[in-house]
Amino acid sequence: MELSSPLIVASGPASHDVRQIRIAEEKGFGAVVLKTVCSAKYDEMRYWPRPRYKLLDWDKQIAGRSKQFTLYSYEQGYSGRLEDYWKFVEICKKKTKIPIIGSAFAGVPEDWVDLASHIEQSGADAVELDISSPHRPGSLEFETTFVAAIKAVVGAVKIPVLAKLALGPDVLSQCLIAQDCGAAAVTLCNRLRGIDIDIESHRPILHGYYGGVGGPWAKYYNFGYVAEAAGKLKIQISATGGVMTSEDVIKYVLLGASTVQILSVIMVNGWDSASTINSGILSYLNRKNLKSLDEIRGNAVDHLTSPEEIVRWSGESKKGPRNEWD
Amino acid sequence: MNGIKKKYKGLDPLPPDFVRIHAPLAFVVEEDCIGCDRCIPICFFDALVMVDKPEHKYKRVALVDLANCTGCGLCFEACPTDAFIWVPDKSNGGPISRSASAMTNGII
Repeated sequence: MELSSPLIVASGPASHDVRQIRIAEEKGFGAVVLKTVCSAKYDEMRYWPRPRYKLLDWDKQIAGRSKQFTLYSYEQGYSGRLEDYWKFVEICKKKTKIPIIGSAFAGVPEDWVDLASHIEQSGADAVELDISSPHRPGSLEFETTFVAAIKAVVGAVKIPVLAKLALGPDVLSQCLIAQDCGAAAVTLCNRLRGIDIDIESHRPILHGYYGGVGGPWAKYYNFGYVAEAAGKLKIQISATGGVMTSEDVIKYVLLGASTVQILSVIMVNGWDSASTINSGILSYLNRKNLKSLDEIRGNAVDHLTSPEEIVRWSGESKKGPRNEWD
Repeated sequence: MNGIKKKYKGLDPLPPDFVRIHAPLAFVVEEDCIGCDRCIPICFFDALVMVDKPEHKYKRVALVDLANCTGCGLCFEACPTDAFIWVPDKSNGGPISRSASAMTNGII
């Protein structure tokens, strides 16, 4: 799949209707991951609570210039019926030229296959399996949903299958298993499940349940996971998490990512974030005299050293005013 | 429309009191709106427009299209003057719950 920009709209509120997909194309996104459709078993995900979003630590007086914040959300699934989603994919394909990636969430392998097959038949260029949604209890269960779902879907469809993984200490092993299962790429990583508490009422904020948390701070963890995975994986990495600027995108690419998915930045700074980021990437390429990001992809991983290589110095054991030996 | 004068401010983390009876909708208190446009791009549902209002101090104000508003809450975060309030969406078909106890437990 050839993309005009490494930027992809991540699955969420910026990709739940056709008009948004046209805007995404106009604004210079390379591709779009559509809002996640849930299998009939999770039909309630179509019905959204109100409100669903909260920006924590957000300085609304300076709005888009806030560099640190947390998007706390109780995001749900695609709000239409399953057949509406197939139609949605079809129309997106007709109305735009950029690749359309469907996104699915289900429980048992048969349902994963059913969703992915319909997404393929509707003309999507790829399908992302939202294995790691922070909003479903049990959806982070690795063995029961993850392995079986990827294997089943890869066996059933011809389009590339992306597995969207959760942040965690075992990201690398999940990546390797996804690769063994036949995934064409991994999306690293979904947002974490978190919670915030109102200390006046002692209640968790929003609806009294966990939310998905993400924000600019999340990139540093994710840079690490992408770096670890890039060194070991043969399949592609679509990095996502914490991107606010073109520098963040370039860093993900330097760590080996093929594409970068963004969403929070569109939510807080609008669709023009894409053009800003794209022009930032172009001026970086010009300044570094590069033709394409391919020339630098993964370069930072090559510079990753090992603890044994780090120079250590003697002297820390010496006596000093803070040490009391006697 | 008479809004419920209970603000969902940027720093007030709980939904409005009536959330278990009516679906909440965003509503702009015109006298608090400064016509700054910041809420327009943050709305993913085309539920906000700026309208001319010659008699208003700032000549234009934000208006919520109640038919499009999904009550997501993002416009509250964008507004520097806390001009948004929640109002009950009485046209909404009512809450969907999976269990009979969901309403009383507040997990609708």
